[in-house]
Amino acid sequence: MSRKAVGDDIWKNNVEKINSELFTLTYGSVVAQLCRDFNNNYHEVNNQLDKMGYNIGLRLIEEFLAKTGVRRCQTFKETSEVISKLGFKIFLNIQPTIENWSADGKSCSLILPEPNPLTEFVELPITADDKIAKELWYSQILCGVLRGALQMVQLDCDVQFVKDVLRGDDRTELRLKLNKILKDEVPAGED
Amino acid sequence: MSSYYLAIIGTRDNPIYELEFASFKNTTILSSPSTPNTPPPIPGKARFAPNVKELLPFIANSSLDLIEDAQFTSNQLNLGKIDTFYGISINAFITPGNIKFVLCYDGNVKEENSIRSFFNEINELYVKTLLNPFYAVNDAIISPEFDLKVKQLARKYL
Amino acid sequence: MSEDIILPSATSLSKLTIHDTSKTGFGYNPAIGPISNSITSETSSILINKRTITLSSAPSIYERNITNKKPVEINLSSLSFLFCEIVNWTHGQSRGIHDLEMKLNKLGYSIGQRYLELIKLRDGIKLNKRDLKIIDILHFIHGSFWKSIFGKHANELEKSQDVPNEYMIIENMPLLAKFINIPKDYADLNCGAFVAGIIEGALDSAGFYVNVTAHSVPMDGFPLRTVFLMKFDQSCLIRESIH
Repeated sequence: MSRKAVGDDIWKNNVEKINSELFTLTYGSVVAQLCRDFNNNYHEVNNQLDKMGYNIGLRLIEEFLAKTGVRRCQTFKETSEVISKLGFKIFLNIQPTIENWSADGKSCSLILPEPNPLTEFVELPITADDKIAKELWYSQILCGVLRGALQMVQLDCDVQFVKDVLRGDDRTELRLKLNKILKDEVPAGED
Repeated sequence: MSSYYLAIIGTRDNPIYELEFASFKNTTILSSPSTPNTPPPIPGKARFAPNVKELLPFIANSSLDLIEDAQFTSNQLNLGKIDTFYGISINAFITPGNIKFVLCYDGNVKEENSIRSFFNEINELYVKTLLNPFYAVNDAIISPEFDLKVKQLARKYL
Repeated sequence: MSEDIILPSATSLSKLTIHDTSKTGFGYNPAIGPISNSITSETSSILINKRTITLSSAPSIYERNITNKKPVEINLSSLSFLFCEIVNWTHGQSRGIHDLEMKLNKLGYSIGQRYLELIKLRDGIKLNKRDLKIIDILHFIHGSFWKSIFGKHANELEKSQDVPNEYMIIENMPLLAKFINIPKDYADLNCGAFVAGIIEGALDSAGFYVNVTAHSVPMDGFPLRTVFLMKFDQSCLIRESIH
């Protein structure tokens, strides 16, 4: 069975599903609250979202491995396939595409479909100085989730947004970069 | 030809959106203005007399008393025509979250159905605005898209 | 609780001053008033000729269909993970159990305000009505409101025998409580505060000022059973007796 078919099958038969709207509204409420708490310091908001995502990723990977039974990937290319066809499908019911591989095979772009359960109904607020459109990465939590999950399988990665449709770009793009493979280290959780 | 004033009023009696416009129906392009040196009227631009124009926010505001009376006696969203004031008629609509739409207009408009449809569509636009996590209840609605949509609805129904 | 305390008192995240003018010719500016978005000859011609224009490169939420679209589904775990982390993060920001519950309530509050309008809108033009009496709005919350959010009706709706302004909605299997690990020093915490906030936001918006709290009342077979206690403000009762 192809990875995509595996993902579709697990989604169909082995996942407890709910209406995504509560998720969308909950995430939105959190981002808006963070913007107020940090007084529109959007770099801080991005940081907080990233930390929250990291903590989620550390635990999410267990459920992922349990549900999919995926073995250790041989290449980073395989890893990114697994992330997009299985990971995103099973948890968010979306299928990102992978593009723009670097020559050394250690970094690639993940293109997220829009709208997705995080960004549905969202429009960045209008202010005279456009600061929010230049600084906030609305879905930053995803970067943290990927980073945390990959850490737990011994892959030290950088995950960053480079484009976001909410900011007016033509698509939503994450850059995934493998730094190094860890040997038997247990990462500490971030508070 | 009717001129209209739409106000969307929040739960603290604060206006969160306003629009003045005129009926888009029966617009004719004048080949030459009736008096020299005056520009032809812009279709859709409100043509209230200046003394009336000043009063519009007050009229909308004072109609809030009547709306509040109806708020807990009628369970309809569309209240229809609730008052007239020196030739200005006032229609009102309340959303389930108690946001009020007030439409003031001059002239005798007998199109209650158009106004009802107009209000229903604005209700949907309001809910879409509200679903945005960055918009809080009682914030002003400054989105250009919203403004464009309301004007398109005005063109369609009134 | 009166709305002045719950609603964010901070200024809106969107801000315009009297010096800001629209680049596109559209957009109401509250600092200026109706002159800011009055119809000009350009905008008039756009409207008369039904031209389509794009005002910004970001996709518009106004083009989306919210009434007839097929429901999109997501994994329950995703919501649980998100919620667990929210509780965790809020816990780090709070000075105690009560503070934590207030913050969770506040997060749920704005969600409740949105759901009320959305769910009523989806009832359709003919059936969409405002609820004027406590018992009507509670039937709505217990029924279609709960169903739209959680996929099922709430289990019970009760009125307190002793206190005239208290009502209870009871949920045997709250969706979000399943996966939360509560640290020992927070034994009294109830993450139902978030759902209580959702209920409170919806009721306040509908004009029923109310205080909603969540309480764990386990029963045979339902260890996570939660009672949402709603204390209606006196003004609601007075209003009911008049009309």
